[in-house]
Amino acid sequence: MPETTTLTETKTDVATQPPWNVIVHDDPVNLMGYVTYVLMKIFGYNEKYATTLMLQVHQQGLSIVWSGELEKAEFYVQQLQFHQLKTSIEQAE
Amino acid sequence: MKIAPTLEGGLRIDPETAGDWHILRAIILDANGYETDLASRLGGLVTDERIAEDWQDIVVPDLRESFTDDLHRIYAAIEAAAAFPKDGENPIWITREDALTWYSALNQARLALEEKYRFGQDPESDPANLSTVRQEALLRSQFYCALQSFILSHSL
Repeated sequence: MPETTTLTETKTDVATQPPWNVIVHDDPVNLMGYVTYVLMKIFGYNEKYATTLMLQVHQQGLSIVWSGELEKAEFYVQQLQFHQLKTSIEQAE
Repeated sequence: MKIAPTLEGGLRIDPETAGDWHILRAIILDANGYETDLASRLGGLVTDERIAEDWQDIVVPDLRESFTDDLHRIYAAIEAAAAFPKDGENPIWITREDALTWYSALNQARLALEEKYRFGQDPESDPANLSTVRQEALLRSQFYCALQSFILSHSL
């Protein structure tokens, strides 16, 4: 009787979820320099990039300051709220 | 009131009149002066139904505790300085380590005043046209903002 060999091939199908956006909203209280400081502190952004995001918040009313997986997004929103920035989270479409 | 930077990167506040002590003590009163607390207002921004319930149950109480702790620490610093003068002076020291706590308390006060009086929606309004209560609140808010600017530039 001939020996038979069975080859098994596994295919993994990963469904990609849309990322979650961390959004900072403008408010009339938080100082521009403070918003820049907080973005640098929490995300490790350099001053130039943090300032760009801060100006987006100031001029456009909001800015998506980070996008990615839910768990990290929740962590960042929590940190931003601890620093009293008006922050929300939503899943990108 | 005199406010001066220290060599260690902090600030020294020297209240000189009863009015100075009044405005410093008002930080705590103003921070607690709006009907909905800051933790709830921030928590309310998380509205996605997959997250919102946990946020209210877990994150908002942590935020509330953190903000309250900051206010307690500032209250204690002000009252300790008032109670124990040294050589006729009652300086309040904001060290670099305390800077964020002070910033937080001042921010809580300004955010609550803004919710209550909505100064930001009419930035051009002439303070002379405001009622006395609003005028005083605006002046306190401007003082808190000036102190925050000092903290931001010298201590954070």
